[in-house]
Amino acid sequence: MSGIEVQGLGKRFGDRVAVEGLDFHVRPGEVFGLLGPNGAGKTTTVRMLTGLLRPTEGEATVWGHHVDRDGESLRKVVGLLTEQPGLYDRLTARENLRFFMKLHEMDEAAAWPRALHYLERFGLGGREAEPVGGFSKGMRQKLAIVRTLVHDPRVIFLDEPTSGLDPESARTVRDAVAELASEGRTIVLCSHNLAEVERLCERVAVVKRRLLLMGPVRELRRAGQALDVRVEGEAERFRDALASLPFATNVLAEGMRLRVMLEDDAHAPDVVACLVGAGARVHSAVPSQRPLEEVYLDLLREGRS
Amino acid sequence: MSFRPRRALAVFWKDVLDLRKNLGLLASMAVLPTVMVLVPIGVVWSYVRTPNHADLRSVALFYDPSLPLGASAARFLIDKTLTDWFGMFLVMPVFVPILIASQSVAGEKERRTLEPLLATPITAAELVAGKSLAALVPAVLITWVAFVFFCVGVDLVAWPLVQMPLMPDALWTFGVLVLAPLFAFFGNGVAVLISARAGDARMAQQLSALVVLPLVGMVGGQVAGFLKAGLLYYALQGAVVLVLDAVLLWASIRLLDRERLVSRWG
Ligand SMILES: Nc1ncnc2c1ncn2[C@@H]1O[C@H](COP(=O)(O)OP(=O)(O)O)[C@@H](O)[C@H]1O
Ligand SMILES: [Mg+2]
Repeated sequence: MSGIEVQGLGKRFGDRVAVEGLDFHVRPGEVFGLLGPNGAGKTTTVRMLTGLLRPTEGEATVWGHHVDRDGESLRKVVGLLTEQPGLYDRLTARENLRFFMKLHEMDEAAAWPRALHYLERFGLGGREAEPVGGFSKGMRQKLAIVRTLVHDPRVIFLDEPTSGLDPESARTVRDAVAELASEGRTIVLCSHNLAEVERLCERVAVVKRRLLLMGPVRELRRAGQALDVRVEGEAERFRDALASLPFATNVLAEGMRLRVMLEDDAHAPDVVACLVGAGARVHSAVPSQRPLEEVYLDLLREGRS
Repeated sequence: MSFRPRRALAVFWKDVLDLRKNLGLLASMAVLPTVMVLVPIGVVWSYVRTPNHADLRSVALFYDPSLPLGASAARFLIDKTLTDWFGMFLVMPVFVPILIASQSVAGEKERRTLEPLLATPITAAELVAGKSLAALVPAVLITWVAFVFFCVGVDLVAWPLVQMPLMPDALWTFGVLVLAPLFAFFGNGVAVLISARAGDARMAQQLSALVVLPLVGMVGGQVAGFLKAGLLYYALQGAVVLVLDAVLLWASIRLLDRERLVSRWG
C-alpha cells in the first residue's frame, strides 16, 4: 500500500496534548501541506510519521509501514528534513552526504551521481569539498534537503524548510522544493507560512493540535468568497434576513455596507434578491475575494474556541 | 531488531573523521599522555641522579621495613614508582574516551544532528557501538603509543644505574594490553550514558570526568603506603571494571532510545 494513512493519531507529553485525533490521507506523488501556527503540533506529527516518536493514540502507515511497529523499514523509505539542518560543520558537504549513504547502506559509488545531480541543481555544484561550517543558511538548508534524498526515499517530510532564512535563500529553497514536487515525489511540507503552502502544495491540512480543515488549496480559497453590497440607509437592518440564507456563512454590516461571505459566488443573485425582498434599495453588489490569510486566521480563531 | 555492522561502522567513520578535524579536542587529548609519560621518567631520573642519597634509604624503608641492607634503595624506589604509576597511567584510557564520547554524543544533541541521524534506519545498539568504537580505538591507540614512549624513556634514563631494560615488564604489558581497553570501555560507557542525559557536551565531560577520582584516590593510597599494588591488585581492578562495563553497555543501549532522545529536547 502506498501513500500515507493517518487515523486518529495523537500524542501526549505527560498531560500536555500536542496532537489529537488527526485523520488524513496523502496520495502517492502528492505535495501535501501541514499548515498551522507555531506549537500546532506539526513537528510532533512528522516525528510520529518518521518513527521518532511513538503515538499515544491512533495509528498511521507510511507506504504500508506501520509507524509504531515497523520503525526500521519505515525509516528506509522516508526522508526527513528536520527544522534545524543538523549538519556536521567540520565535515565537508560530500562527507556529510557520504555519512548518510553509509547509514542507509548504499553503494556510495552508485549513489553519489544522484547526490551530485541535486547539488548542482540546487546551486551547490563545486562546493562539495568545502567544510559545511562555512556555508550560508540557505546553502545549509539545501544541502540538508539533498541529504534527505540520498537514499531515494518514497516520501519526503520537510519540516519548515524556509523558516529562519532570509527572503532570498527562502526563495531558492522554495524553488528546490518545487523542483522535487515536479519530479512526482510524495512530499509532506510543514509550514506556518500560508503563501508557501499555497504555492507549493496541492492539498493542505490546517492543524492546530487537531485538524481544522483539509482540502485542496483552492477550496481554502473558495472559503474566501464574499459579496460586498451597498444599500440605502442603515445596512444593519438587513442582517437578520441575510443570516437566514443557508449559503451565507457570515454577514458583516457597517454603515451602508454589507459583506456577505458565501460558500459559492454563484449565490450572489440570491443575496440581492433576498435584500430586495426585504425592502432594501441596492446601489451596488460587487463580488470580492477575501485574502486567503484572513480565511486562515478565521479558521485558527474558530479552532481556538 | 537486527544489528547491521555497516551502520555502526558508518558512525565510527564519521566520528573519527570529525575528531581528526577537531584540533581543539586533539590538543586537549595530547596533554594527558604527555604528562603520563614525562612525570615518571622525571621521577626515575631523580633517583638515578643521586642513587646513594641517604634520604632515599629512609623513604624505601618507610614502604618496606624489611628491605635488605645490601639492596639499592634507588632501585627499590624506581621499581615501586613504576608499579604505582601504572595505576595513574590507567587514568589515560579512562579519560580519553570521556573527552571523545561526551563530545560525540552530547555534541550531536547540541548541534541538532541527532534527529536527522535517528531518522535513518540505525538502531540504538548500532549507534552505541559506532560511537563507542570511535572513542575506544583512539584511546587505546594513544595509550599504546604513550606506553612505547614511556618504556623507551624509562629505560634510557634508568640505564646508567641498572644496566638493563626495566620496561616493559609483565605487569605493564598485561595492564596495557588487557586492562587499558577494559578501562577505556568503562570511561566510554560512563560518558555515553551521561551525555545521553546531559544537556551539553561540556557538562557531560565534567560529570563523566569525576569517575577518574577513585582511580587517582587509589594511587594516592599506594603512595601513602596503605595499598600495595601488584599484578593481582590490578587484575582485581580489571575484573571489577569488566562487570561495570557490561552494566554500562546494557544501560546505554536502553537509554539511547529514539523516543527518549528526541522528546528530551523540550
Ligand atoms: N518533547 C516534548 N515534550 C513536551 N512537550 C512537547 C515536546 N515536543 C513538543 N511539545 C509540545 O507540543 C506542542 C506541539 O509542538 P510542535 O510539534 O513542535 O509544534 P510545531 O512544530 O507545529 O510548531 C507544543 O505545545 C510543544 O510545546
Ligand atoms: Mg515545528
